[in-house]
Amino acid sequence: MLEVRLKGFRSRKVFLLAASCLALCFFIVGMASRPKPAVWVKKFKGSRYELMAAGKPYVVKGVCYNPIPIGKGQDYDWWSDPNKPWLTDGRLMQEMGVNTVRIYKAGNNPGSVKKVISDMYNIYGIRTVMGHWLGFWEYPCPLYGGKEFQERVKKEVLDMVRLYKDEPGVLMWILGNENNYSCFGQVNPWSTDEIDKETDPAKQNLMRARVYYSFVNELAAEIHKIDPNHPVALGNGELLGLEVARDVSPDIDVVACIIYRGKGFGNIFNSLKSIFDRPILISEFGADSYDAYLGKEDQNMQAFFLQAQWRQIYQNLATTKGGAGNCIGGAMFEWADEWWKHNEYDADGWSRHDAESNWSNPSYYFDIKAANNKNMNEEWFGIVALSKEDESGLDRRIPRKAYYLVREFWKNPVLTDPPRKK
Amino acid sequence: MKTLLARTVIIVLFFLVCLSMPAFALDSREQKKASLLVTEINKTKDSAKLHALFNELGELYFNNNDFDGFLTALSSVGGGDNKGLALWNDYYTALARYRQLKYLEDNQLWEEYFANQNSWRTQITGSIAKVLEGTTTADPLRILSRLLLWRFYQDQQDPARELQLSGLMAETEEYAAGNAADIGLIKTAADELSSYNEKGNARQLYKIYVAKIVAPGEESGKIKKAALGFYSQGNLDLAEAVYDAYIERIAQAQGAAAAPELIEIARQFSYGDNRPNDPLYAEKVFARIEELGGKEALDEKLMYLRAFNLEKGKDFLAAKDRYRDFVASFPDNPENDEAQYKLGIITTYIMRDISGGRGYFTKLSDSDKVSPQVISAIYQLGLLAQWEGKNEEARRYYLALKDKAGDGFRETVALANERIAELDGSRPIEYNLKTFIDVSLRPQDVQSDRTKFELNCHPYRSPRNQDVNISSSYYYGDNGCLQPEFQYLWSGHLGAYHDVSNDSSTAPDSRGLTKPDTSQSAFTTQYIHNGSKEVNLVIVSASGVVDRNLDIVDVYDSPGTP
Repeated sequence: MLEVRLKGFRSRKVFLLAASCLALCFFIVGMASRPKPAVWVKKFKGSRYELMAAGKPYVVKGVCYNPIPIGKGQDYDWWSDPNKPWLTDGRLMQEMGVNTVRIYKAGNNPGSVKKVISDMYNIYGIRTVMGHWLGFWEYPCPLYGGKEFQERVKKEVLDMVRLYKDEPGVLMWILGNENNYSCFGQVNPWSTDEIDKETDPAKQNLMRARVYYSFVNELAAEIHKIDPNHPVALGNGELLGLEVARDVSPDIDVVACIIYRGKGFGNIFNSLKSIFDRPILISEFGADSYDAYLGKEDQNMQAFFLQAQWRQIYQNLATTKGGAGNCIGGAMFEWADEWWKHNEYDADGWSRHDAESNWSNPSYYFDIKAANNKNMNEEWFGIVALSKEDESGLDRRIPRKAYYLVREFWKNPVLTDPPRKK
Repeated sequence: MKTLLARTVIIVLFFLVCLSMPAFALDSREQKKASLLVTEINKTKDSAKLHALFNELGELYFNNNDFDGFLTALSSVGGGDNKGLALWNDYYTALARYRQLKYLEDNQLWEEYFANQNSWRTQITGSIAKVLEGTTTADPLRILSRLLLWRFYQDQQDPARELQLSGLMAETEEYAAGNAADIGLIKTAADELSSYNEKGNARQLYKIYVAKIVAPGEESGKIKKAALGFYSQGNLDLAEAVYDAYIERIAQAQGAAAAPELIEIARQFSYGDNRPNDPLYAEKVFARIEELGGKEALDEKLMYLRAFNLEKGKDFLAAKDRYRDFVASFPDNPENDEAQYKLGIITTYIMRDISGGRGYFTKLSDSDKVSPQVISAIYQLGLLAQWEGKNEEARRYYLALKDKAGDGFRETVALANERIAELDGSRPIEYNLKTFIDVSLRPQDVQSDRTKFELNCHPYRSPRNQDVNISSSYYYGDNGCLQPEFQYLWSGHLGAYHDVSNDSSTAPDSRGLTKPDTSQSAFTTQYIHNGSKEVNLVIVSASGVVDRNLDIVDVYDSPGTP
């Protein structure tokens, strides 16, 4: 009797073991055969990250793209321009080695937007990073704590995702740009009744950041439900506020940082690892090509900074030994000059290549001795200059020195490895 | 005659062209010297001597920006099996390329820079790698190489710089702990770190260096001389470290009798407009003097100096205590009015104690004397009364001020007139000034604690009618391309100002004065009469008040230190 019982027990045990093995096999096979998303982030040991697109590692060699012609303002709908500037630009970009354009906000006509994305991808192999301002530049200031505001922005973002998620050229979504500065009272300040009740300004800042990053996370989670094929990046000015994002934004896949620190990015790569362990895309960086001190164009200065910046990006890719390994690439600001930027309200000025600087940044040290130290020339950031000379209905594009130098760097990225430890 | 003139013009033009060209190849005398140095290097075995010879050879070429010439000269160095010489050669190859890249970048000679940068960088790291392979931490060459490698990565803002810095520190300390052949190398490393603003690490190495040079048997006179030498070079970190050792030695040996020597050191580091100074170090020495000799070790001049130092070191609370001691101990001192006025300003606007501050101002205003500080104190009493809404009391103060000032003290009288006009017109206090008083005195603005931006004046002790530069600096942090726009609300005794941004004087306004506008973070002014001039600033951003601060300039008949 005991033997029979034991036998029964043994056979049941064998059966359970076999069933478990079978289930495990199904699970493993299932996992292996489940298709990977079109674009995804691969994580390696030591918080090193690589972006994967179409099954291959993808280093973002990008440019910020907003081809406003001379004489037009920021509202100009270039997406619908019959002269198709993206075709001229795409060819030049392809020749340079650009593989990504970063768009801050999609145009109003979905058909035109789809056409741009697909032309860029199908003709030139250039993918598009789609962005959204999250109402940052609205008037009055963005009310990230307001339900009505949140719902409206959420609808806009999710509509964008639904419209373009199936375009093969889309690389990822970036939510916001430097919106985090508004949480810290530096620009576009906003508040809520609850925040106003707090008297400690430092605590107020953290409360705002919590509200903002929670909202962005909600958007990211919703995007993932609609579109599992593309990563969602958080656009952030520097690393400010990311210690809050770490706690409330688990659905963010990539941190997309806007950084203007001259020829380098400081400790940003290693710092990000300890603050918010995510891959980093330097989604906006660059240098202007105007020497505000000498009052003349200086293409070499711009080329020097851009090349140094790209060297740092490459030094911190997952495949480079010795670096942080969490960088997935960058998008230079910007492809072509924008002549409207000095004063967006002065329509006459849109036809003038303004050389008056609006801001100061000592990290771009060559021309920091300009009056009031204002050395950054907003209309001169293009790696391609515009000429009033007409070429197929477009302002003629004149690549600057940075175009050629970065092209050569991408072809042959020479890095300086430190000597091995003895 | 025409030919002669033409020749002269050609010769002059030739020399002008030569002068305007950057220095390059060595002249024949220098070439001869270089070849002698190379010969000597090839014969020398001693490491310290080699270092000196290579340095001399390097500077000969580097001063002429002839880096390629130096590398050609290096190709004649060594050979055979002299491995030590080969390593020196590697180091100097790296150094030459490093300096060449820096030279090209600094002078924006881009064609050569872009054409060679990659290969030269590789040459730098490759050459240093060879040195590190062939040396130990007992070898000065290794420390030099570590230093160069760190500077190279630091200049490039390369992520490897942190690792290189810790390597440099660890190996320099290891080198110092052994039989360091050349202790000057520790100082060289510290100097470089200091020049890159790595102050903490620099101090650490200076401390090690000082421990080496201040050996127990070393004569005190030599230590003092060394400290003075570093002070004269403007290397205050090192001078202070050596003086610390010197002070401890003489304090232990002499006790209170060391006070005169310490006073000399305290004076040396005290605030001065145009010489190296560190008021807070001076205070440290003053405290040691007091420890050794009691309060009586400091006379009235030194007590005033101590308070003044603390004020210039922006330690206003400590300055207040010292000014208070000074005023109590020496009521008849000529600087007493100044000290009383500053006590009033600090107590009112720094400590937010309106009644305490008013006490000091009242004491001055009750005085029979007529001094700039007495006049300013009456103005302050009027201002505080006006801010509190006691308009008639304020008017009485302003009228008393005018009465006492007579035809003098035009700047303060102009301010009083402006306030009287506000009272007459039932208008509030001028916006900038009112904002400053609001955020300085209202309890709800306690977070405006003067920590978010700096306010500085130069010089702090100025003769009348001479330029005083007043500047604020706010650390923006790294903030992408979105720079917050600030408004600068200046108020107080601003003198007759002119705009520093375009260096053009502006016409005085109806008060006979002008005022910097809200876009200016700095300005230059002149004061037309003596006194202690408080300068107030509130910085405002889109989200409200960022912070407030104040500073004080002392205007005298003739310049001088207290």
